[in-house]
Amino acid sequence: MTPFVRLPALLVSRAVIALGAVAVVLGFVSAGDLLPRLLTTHRHTLLLAVVLIAAGELSRIRMPSGRETAPISSAAALAVVFLARIHGEPTFALEPGLVVIVVTAGLATAAAVRRVRHERVGVPALAARSVGVWVAAWLARGVGPSNGTLWAAQLDPTVTQGLVALGMVMVAAVGLLTELVLVAGIRAERQRTPWRAAVRDEVGEAAPLTLAVVATGPMVALMAPVLGLLSLPVALVPLAMAYSAVRQYARNRETNRQLVATLSHLTEHGGYTPERHAERVAGLSVRIGRVLGLGDRQLRSLEYAALLHDLGQISLLDPIPDGATVLAAPADQRDIAEEGARIIRRAENLDDVARFVETQTTAYRLVRELNEPVPLESRIIKCANAFDDLSAGSGDPVLVAAAMERIHLGLGYEYDPEVVDALTRVVEDVSVGRVDDRGVAAR
Amino acid sequence: MASARKGARGNAGTAYIGMVTVVALVAVSVAVRAQGVPLGPDLAVFLVLAIVLPLLQNVVDVGDRVRVDISSILSLAAMAIVGPVGASLAGAVTGAFTGRHLAPRIRLFNAATFALYRLLGGVAFQATGGTTAPSRLSEVSAVVLSLALPMLVASVVQLAVNLVLVAGVVRVSHGVPMRLQMASMLQGTGLAYLGFSLIAIPLVVLWKPAGLGPEAVIIVLAPLLVAQWAYRQHAEELEGQQRALEVLVAAVEAKAPHLAGHSSRVAELSARMAEHLGLSPQFVADTRMAGMLHDVGQTSLSTRVVRDLDLTDPSGGQDGYPEAGVALLDDLTFLRGALDPIRWHREALGSVQSSLPSRIVALADRYDLLTTVGSPGGTVQASALARDLVAAEVVGADAAVLVRALDEALARVRSDQSPT
Repeated sequence: MTPFVRLPALLVSRAVIALGAVAVVLGFVSAGDLLPRLLTTHRHTLLLAVVLIAAGELSRIRMPSGRETAPISSAAALAVVFLARIHGEPTFALEPGLVVIVVTAGLATAAAVRRVRHERVGVPALAARSVGVWVAAWLARGVGPSNGTLWAAQLDPTVTQGLVALGMVMVAAVGLLTELVLVAGIRAERQRTPWRAAVRDEVGEAAPLTLAVVATGPMVALMAPVLGLLSLPVALVPLAMAYSAVRQYARNRETNRQLVATLSHLTEHGGYTPERHAERVAGLSVRIGRVLGLGDRQLRSLEYAALLHDLGQISLLDPIPDGATVLAAPADQRDIAEEGARIIRRAENLDDVARFVETQTTAYRLVRELNEPVPLESRIIKCANAFDDLSAGSGDPVLVAAAMERIHLGLGYEYDPEVVDALTRVVEDVSVGRVDDRGVAAR
Repeated sequence: MASARKGARGNAGTAYIGMVTVVALVAVSVAVRAQGVPLGPDLAVFLVLAIVLPLLQNVVDVGDRVRVDISSILSLAAMAIVGPVGASLAGAVTGAFTGRHLAPRIRLFNAATFALYRLLGGVAFQATGGTTAPSRLSEVSAVVLSLALPMLVASVVQLAVNLVLVAGVVRVSHGVPMRLQMASMLQGTGLAYLGFSLIAIPLVVLWKPAGLGPEAVIIVLAPLLVAQWAYRQHAEELEGQQRALEVLVAAVEAKAPHLAGHSSRVAELSARMAEHLGLSPQFVADTRMAGMLHDVGQTSLSTRVVRDLDLTDPSGGQDGYPEAGVALLDDLTFLRGALDPIRWHREALGSVQSSLPSRIVALADRYDLLTTVGSPGGTVQASALARDLVAAEVVGADAAVLVRALDEALARVRSDQSPT
């Protein structure tokens, strides 16, 4: 039946872009006539701000989950929101709308560079940042008690600077939170993940860097009366340190993933399992887990367990034909899983991973009828492994349909219906549950 | 003999700590007589931070992997805000509170070291034109000349004094060469230390000329706490890496139960030999890793073949498993330095062209195979006999040096395993 009203695809993304456009247009309408004069009187400040925002945007960090974040760009944008007195330069007295225009100019510059380099731009995320800056600029420069705005309080010697700093930090936090929630909305729509899980992951992963960013914008504004424009790069040094540390950690996480992937190759090199089987099962498991709302930490253990789910085959004297455990006798399946878990337990602190591997062969009916404690992660691996074994890792629609049919025959008996439902959505749409391939660039 | 050596080192360590403490006390007393104690709310804030920050850091044990040392940044800022004496007193408190389960004498050493290097850094700061009245800084040139440059000089002095004092105590107490210890410390936090002054500058500017007061600490430290958090995650990831490598070794041992413990013994022996031969910390780490993973290629062979393999026979066919191991690990960039020894460990003893790490791993592997693993169904050799057998197999001009390194490494391993 044709729905009465068909919602357009990517509705949230389009709404965020429209909101960003409205912020820019309102900026031009409210203070566009001041722009030519501004370009003359504040050219050094504007140039530095645009360059830093653009450079920060071009040096995004890819977080362990695959999300991208641009803390230096966000901090520079927030510095523009709060800047007032600058040693050696005229006071930076801008309407909130002009602040949005300046920040958007920096983001547009970065977008143009990315376009020239044939890289993904991520317009909705950039629009989300413009909206976040709009909110912060309006709170800092547009509203306030009768004696002035938060921005004006910086220039008032009777106001305690500690209070001004506190106000700036709170306004910066509101602006960044606005951006994060919008990006979470875009992500939830693209990955078909629950919206609450998307907000939780977005805010959770961004929280530490957000803390660093909210402090940096005010730092620039408060140092500018002494250091002038030098306050911008100087204030970015602590943030750059945080940036470098986070990038190193994210890279290391990637290295660890590769290392575990290498472990999964042990059975392939030994001829026990088909090429890339473990990686396919891991990819599928993570996507299913994401659809089912698992958090980042759970997804990580799930991925490791999926990569290692066949490790127990390593010591078999006689390999299983084609390594397809789904076709092996249940007792053999259990032995392999237990041997895999035993090997994994030789390392400390991988108990979760070992448990997921150990219980991956348990039939779902035992969970339903006998309340056997089988973690969701194990049920996901069971389903993903069966799909890959039955479809022989092929994208051939006939094989995929046959594999899905076999799995549906075991629905409720062998496989968890909720997991099979998520598997169906993942198999039908390649974008479901993915972060990195068609991901959204976050803050 | 090993326990006697340990006892002598312990006494020397205590004497060294006593000497550093006396020097620190004298130096701080002289400075207090000359400049007085800068009593006031600013010093109180630094003293409170000196107690609180080490306690906060103690919540998560990140060992020597802390790359952002917040207390060092505060010490640089303290030189300008409360002068060298204030920085030194705060340093002494930080040193006393740093570490979770440290013995009192180590705390005493830390307090004395912190007090001393911060005092000397503060003196260098003042001697090079550093101001102790930063409220008067009102423009960039004054900030550069009276704050930034003197602070950079002070951070170099602090780093140098700290390196010498700590490397000295490690040399006296544990026999680790000072050069190695200093290189390792420089690699960890040393160079970052010079960058700390870049963060101390905004702290001073916000605190004094910008009029923010102690609240400046919160604003400036927020990104640094994030950096510390990230480095802790990084440390956890490194532990995760270690765990995954343990699984890799466990997989080999599941396939070849007769090799249980062999990899870790070869890794330990290889690392000790590399240290004795004066290789750089990176080479030592690579050699240890190669020792740990040298048999990983056996997973590419069938289980039956692996269990029948006689590794004690140097001329026996190995079905190319070292090469298979390299193929398996080739994508992992952090293992790049270990690949060569893994590839050549079966042939390196008889080849003068092989790299030193390859020959080290080969020697350690051969010794452990003869003394502990043995041939399938066969017996193992006595240590002395095995040592002479492998010594006879090493060719090349460096043979004697390598064998001496093996002797020294074995002595150190035994010394560490002894109950005292």
